[in-house]
Amino acid sequence: MPTIYIDGRPVEAAEDQTVMQAARAAGVEIPHFCWHPALSVPGNCRICMVEVEGKGTDIACNMPVKAGMKVFTNSDEVVAHRKAILQLTLLNHPVDCGICDKAGECTLQDYHYRYNGEPSVSVDAKVPATKFNELSDRIVLDNERCILCSRCVRFTREVSGSNGLGIEHRADHSRVQPSSDGAFRGDPYSDNVVDLCPVGALLSRRFLYRSRVWYLEPTPSVCPGCERGCTINVWHRLEDWKLKSVATKENSRIARVTPLENPAVNGPWICNKGRDLADLFERPRTTQAKVGGRPAEIDEAVAAARRLIATATRPVALVSSWGSNEELEAFARHLGGRLACFVKADHRPREGEVLEDGLLIKAGKNPNSRRARELFGDAAPSFAPGTDLVLCWGEGFDPALLPAGAKLIVIGSFFDAATDRADVLLPASTQLERDGHYTNFEGVVSAFAACFPRPAGVADAEALFGLLAGEDAT
Amino acid sequence: MRHLIPEFEAMKKRLPPGENGVLVLPCLKRIQEDRGYVADEDIDGLVEYLGVPRIQVEEVLSFYGMLRRAPIGRFHLQVCHNVSCSMHGAERLLDRLQSRLGIAPGQTTPDGRFTLSRVECLGSCGTAPVLMVNERYYELQSEPLLDVLLEELGKP
Repeated sequence: MPTIYIDGRPVEAAEDQTVMQAARAAGVEIPHFCWHPALSVPGNCRICMVEVEGKGTDIACNMPVKAGMKVFTNSDEVVAHRKAILQLTLLNHPVDCGICDKAGECTLQDYHYRYNGEPSVSVDAKVPATKFNELSDRIVLDNERCILCSRCVRFTREVSGSNGLGIEHRADHSRVQPSSDGAFRGDPYSDNVVDLCPVGALLSRRFLYRSRVWYLEPTPSVCPGCERGCTINVWHRLEDWKLKSVATKENSRIARVTPLENPAVNGPWICNKGRDLADLFERPRTTQAKVGGRPAEIDEAVAAARRLIATATRPVALVSSWGSNEELEAFARHLGGRLACFVKADHRPREGEVLEDGLLIKAGKNPNSRRARELFGDAAPSFAPGTDLVLCWGEGFDPALLPAGAKLIVIGSFFDAATDRADVLLPASTQLERDGHYTNFEGVVSAFAACFPRPAGVADAEALFGLLAGEDAT
Repeated sequence: MRHLIPEFEAMKKRLPPGENGVLVLPCLKRIQEDRGYVADEDIDGLVEYLGVPRIQVEEVLSFYGMLRRAPIGRFHLQVCHNVSCSMHGAERLLDRLQSRLGIAPGQTTPDGRFTLSRVECLGSCGTAPVLMVNERYYELQSEPLLDVLLEELGKP
């Protein structure tokens, strides 16, 4: 373990570390554009210049540590270099932060404010370029803002493996471009390049011009898209900045989804399905309890369901694999003894969806199958002869399979064939309206938190189970 | 490009395994010598043969301006217009060629016989002005010499 000195402070470094890595581990942030902890070291942006006593300045990202070396990250010479590099980086950059989605979380903006902040010293006009260069149906590239750090290119080569992007042409004409065989379009991880981009060059078309990032806050959550259970940040409008008159719907919508770095599960990445959670959660919601197809008060519906459960001779429960650990345990506690329980796959792979790959995506498209199976067994749902009641919790049940003469209770958040057919319908909250935990396929438990209030008329499934078992019956 | 594969195989033998990316440039150069330009099917074939990502071939093709993606005329006249040649009348040579051939730099005659290009330094400043016809240098050129050259090349 060589000891190096960063700005005079002794730091223990590992043999194979670079100065950049050792400094970060010690909490010293050296400015960087092209370097990223999960990608290779290209050393092309030159902003991470540090001074080594007796050796002069060089880039920290590619400098191996050496016992006793004295590194200065903020000496006069380093600061002067950094300023010069920023002048070069900004030579053709339009500095159009006012209309840039990245503003507020852009490293170029931060460094420019911190280390340069001066107008360009160049007398030449900036080289114009395409502002809206469509790389795929999900991502656009602003060629003027691009600083050619090549993070996105390396991501498609080293992480996603699609080799979808490259830098074509040369010098002032260099442009990040997608491969003509459509590899980038088909890359299920493509949206990560938007997060990777240190400037506002790569932009998500989903999020384009939707909100300034400083009006948003992230809530930690878990992606329910597959049994990997990647940890994510769900971004939504800040409480203080809720819209009062115009477009108030935005207040309870997912603005965007970004990965929440988690070495135990997903590292710094998520797949595109995770970015599209808005499509999943913004489907038409069940908000009205129903009995026999007619609207009813929630208490009335619960009472009707309770009567059905109490009087059934052979009731079957189809347990949601989208239930949280807490909900599944509550279900087992309150209703597990009364009904024959089977774990149901709420979602099946959609057409065209990547089924499984070696990086993150798993074939099981439900977040909590593992905990559900631990509690209720692996058996596929089946209805013994004489089944007279089916309690269906969650989506994915085809009511055509309902045994003849059997009643159907549905606890669900979204409309489907089963909610239409239900004898009793109890609207339930979604993952975004309650706290909980999911257990992923490897047994790693991750927490999610509520970001939106529960709509009127909707109950938490966990609260319903006790009521349905009649344990606190009047 | 399929008939060039034996040549590519010989080049491959000189490399450690897994370094096929290195062969993109020499293979493209050889393909262009053979066909006159690099066609879409050549890219397809090369991607398949070398097992490299398509974007890697596209990057090389776009980086090197001398790699062509479209066919050119039978004779490629490349006139140098750098300092030495310009001082010795390169622009006059270009004007002459343009009026004789009826095309601007970057264009090909309708009969497909001549393509005219204005190029950067050909590395023969001592014998300026210089032009290249396909792989041959024509040095110390002048307008009368150009007329002789065009006659030799079959310009009526």
